[in-house]
Amino acid sequence: MLRDMRDGRRTQLGELERAVMEQLWALARPATVRDVHQALSQTREIAYTTVMTVLDRLAKKGSVEQSRDGRAYLYRPAVDRDELTAELMHEALGTVDGDDRTSALVRFVDTASADDTAALRAALAELERREQAQ
Amino acid sequence: MIEAFPVTATPALLTGLALVLAGPAPAWLARAEWPSRVPRAALVLWQAMTLAALLSALGAGLSVATLISFYERPGIVLLALHISAFAFTVLVLARLLWSAHVLGTNLRARRRRHRQLVDLVGRSDGRAPGARILDAPEAFAYCVPGVSSRLVVSSSALDTLSDDEIQAVLEHERAHARARHDLVLEGFTALHNAFPTLVRSRAARDAAAGLVEMLADDAAQRRAGAVPLGRALVRLAHAPVPAGTIGTGHVTPLTRIQRLGEPRTIAHHGLASSVYAAAIAIVVIPTVSVAMPWLVHLSHQLS
Repeated sequence: MLRDMRDGRRTQLGELERAVMEQLWALARPATVRDVHQALSQTREIAYTTVMTVLDRLAKKGSVEQSRDGRAYLYRPAVDRDELTAELMHEALGTVDGDDRTSALVRFVDTASADDTAALRAALAELERREQAQ
Repeated sequence: MIEAFPVTATPALLTGLALVLAGPAPAWLARAEWPSRVPRAALVLWQAMTLAALLSALGAGLSVATLISFYERPGIVLLALHISAFAFTVLVLARLLWSAHVLGTNLRARRRRHRQLVDLVGRSDGRAPGARILDAPEAFAYCVPGVSSRLVVSSSALDTLSDDEIQAVLEHERAHARARHDLVLEGFTALHNAFPTLVRSRAARDAAAGLVEMLADDAAQRRAGAVPLGRALVRLAHAPVPAGTIGTGHVTPLTRIQRLGEPRTIAHHGLASSVYAAAIAIVVIPTVSVAMPWLVHLSHQLS
C-alpha cells in the first residue's frame, strides 16, 4: 500500500518533469517559473510552487540550466530533445557502441529471432488449440 | 566422522570437483531438456553449481597452500610453492570481485541515465498503465531494472498489439522487475567477464538468461493468459532489431511459445523437488565431507 502510494507519487513527479521539459523545449528561449507555470496551467491545474520544485529537481539532475536574470531565475533545457531521443534509442535497441555489449535492459524479446514465421505461427496455432480444448 | 579418504587428499579432491563442476557438469545441464519444465529449480541448480565450482576452486587453492603445515621444516622452494598457490587463489577471487564491481557500477550508471531519459521523453498511455511510451518505428518492450524500475513500450508495439497482449507483455516485464532477474544475470555475467574462456561461464550465463525469460513468461501467463502472451511473442519476435545486440544462445520465441499452456502436473513438482535437493547437495556435501575435515585437521595441526 505504502509502496503503491510512493510509486504513484514518483510517477506523478516523473510525469510533471516531462511536462515541464516539453514546455521548455516548446518555448525555445530561457523561461521563468512564471512562464512555465502559465503554459502548463492551460492544460492542467498546477501550483506555482510545484513548478518551482520540479524545475529545481531538473536543474539538480542536470536536465535544465539555471541562470539569474535580476531577481528572477531563468531556465532553459540543458539537453537537446533529438540528441536525447537518439541516446535513448541506442540503449533501447541495443546498439550501444564500445566493448561492453552487456545489456542494461531486460527485453521482452531479446534478439531478432531467427525462427521462421511459419514455425512461430504453427506453434501459436497449437497453443490456441490446446487452450481451447481445456 | 568416518574418514573415507586421507585428509591430505583434500587438494586433489577439491581440484577434481572444481574441474567437473566447471566443465562437464555445466555442459550437461546446458544440453538438458528438462530445465524448461522447472525453470525456477533449474536456475537454483545453475547458481548452486556455479557457487560450488567457485568454492571448490578456492578451496583447492587454499588447501594446497596450507599443505605446508604438514612439513616439519619446509625448505625455501616448498615455501615459495605454497605461497604462490595462496597468492594465485587470492588473485582468482580478487579478479572475480573486481569484475563484479566494474560490471555493477557500469550497469547502475547506464540504468540511472536511461531511467532519467525515459522520464524526460516517455509519455504515458491509458492502454499501457504504468509504462512509459517511446515514439519509435520499431516494436519493442523492455524494463529498466533497479530499485526504481521503469517499464517501456514503443508506440509501434502499442499499435501492433491488442489490449490483452499489451497486458501480457507488461506482466512479463513486471515479473522481471519484481524478481530482480537483473541481479541473477549480473552474477553470471560478472563470472563470465572474469573468466571468459577458462570455465563454461558463457553456458551458465546464457542458460540463466533463458530461464529468467521462462520465469517471466510463467508469471505473465498466470496473470494475462497463455494465448495473449503467445500472440505478443509472435508479433514482437520479428520486430527489426539491429545487428550487434547481445543474446545469442538464449531461448528463442519459438521455444518460449512451445512451452506455454503446459499444465502443471505432479511430475513437475517431483522433478522440481529433486532438482532443489540436488542443488543443496552440490553445495553442502563437498563442504561437509571434504572442506570441514580439512579445516578440523588443520586446526589440530596448528594448535
